[in-house]
Amino acid sequence: MIEFKNVDKYFGDFQVLKNINLTIKKGEVVVIIGPSGSGKSTLLRCMNRLETISNGSLTINGVELNDKKTDINKLRRKIGMVFQHFYLYPHKTVLENIMLAPVKALGQSKEEAKKTALAYLEKVGIPDKANAYPSQLSGGQQQRVAIARGLAMHPEIMLFDEPTSALDPEMIGEVLEVMKHLAKEGMTMVVVTHEMGFAKEVADRIIFVDKGEILEDADPAEFYKEPKEERAKLFLSRILNH
Amino acid sequence: MPDFSILTENWDMYIKGFFITIYTSLIGLIGSFILGTILAIFRIAPFKPFNWIGTIYIEFFRNIPLLIIAFFLFTALPTINMQLDGFQAGTLALIIYTSAFIAEAIRAGILSIPKGQTEAARSSGLTYTQTMRYIILPQAIKIVIPPLGNQFINLVKNSSILTILAAGDLMYQADLISTRTFVTFDVYIFVAIFYLVITIPLSTGVNYLEKRLARSN
Repeated sequence: MIEFKNVDKYFGDFQVLKNINLTIKKGEVVVIIGPSGSGKSTLLRCMNRLETISNGSLTINGVELNDKKTDINKLRRKIGMVFQHFYLYPHKTVLENIMLAPVKALGQSKEEAKKTALAYLEKVGIPDKANAYPSQLSGGQQQRVAIARGLAMHPEIMLFDEPTSALDPEMIGEVLEVMKHLAKEGMTMVVVTHEMGFAKEVADRIIFVDKGEILEDADPAEFYKEPKEERAKLFLSRILNH
Repeated sequence: MPDFSILTENWDMYIKGFFITIYTSLIGLIGSFILGTILAIFRIAPFKPFNWIGTIYIEFFRNIPLLIIAFFLFTALPTINMQLDGFQAGTLALIIYTSAFIAEAIRAGILSIPKGQTEAARSSGLTYTQTMRYIILPQAIKIVIPPLGNQFINLVKNSSILTILAAGDLMYQADLISTRTFVTFDVYIFVAIFYLVITIPLSTGVNYLEKRLARSN
């Protein structure tokens, strides 16, 4: 479904991604971890062309992402994205946030989009906030709206870029709960996160990235018990012993 | 104490000028807002030639006197068989000149919206234009209202260049009254009051709008 072949990515002279080879199949839940500045977010952001790759090939369902002929807007409708800082539209209500892309990008009728939006709000557990503005919600609620906003497009893939990193500790659980539910329903998910519980419970694979390289591509249980790479061991010891 | 007979005896002329000034200001305001928005988008569009056009326009017209633009439109265009009257030439000059400043204000407002807003919108499959229209511009406009208000007030005052094109605006009428009556000081005091009647409600309105839009966040 998502396929990286010998992908390099440079920011100026700095090489952020080095010879990335990675295949993610339909229905897989893949967690990407790695130290800060390792390139894990960049790797994720390449998957919907928020970042363009410098060399190599990156395809989604066989479509080359960086081909000039590729209709990127059409492709992005199939890929939901959730950001660390939510990025809800502050001038629109929760309902309007969720309905905007289905109406404007998919051409759904307002009634249809509203029905879908309300159904997903129900699913993420905050149907009563439909008419609130984002500033009236807690961080956890905002992130759940962001997830509902992504799901309302009926995507085939959901990308999560550190979805719980900006949340207060007591709100992390409610967001992870929604994500676990989604994973169990068979959604293809790529998640950049340090949440070990989430990775252990629902991830099919752990990708460990450091200095722009994929160092490990392992089963979560094995990875957390016994990482093969020295740098992965060091990283795990740091995030576990703080 | 100013001589009020100046005002009452020349009331018709003052009122005529007042409405011409309002008329040119209104057209100028709408025109420069539309042109300014387009120029701002040109400057930040992800297409280099548009950026250049926007930059050249803004830097050129922002850095020459309004009077030159007005004179040019009034005197040079007839040489290519385009005749504008004083009102048309003056109003067009106001639009061309003010839009350069408005474009800069709007551009600053657009750039102040966090990049994540664009990323969220684009990653949901909205096009660049849709993202601008539904996400960025509605947020930017709130930030831009105070500087826009300043530009609109400047526009009203700058509309006095219509005087030298004999377009019959407030300042032109004041000059006429002054030459006819040989009174200077009082005539200009009254004309200043007429300008204030336009500009004070304008700045009050901008303040009100600013507060009201701030509340919706």
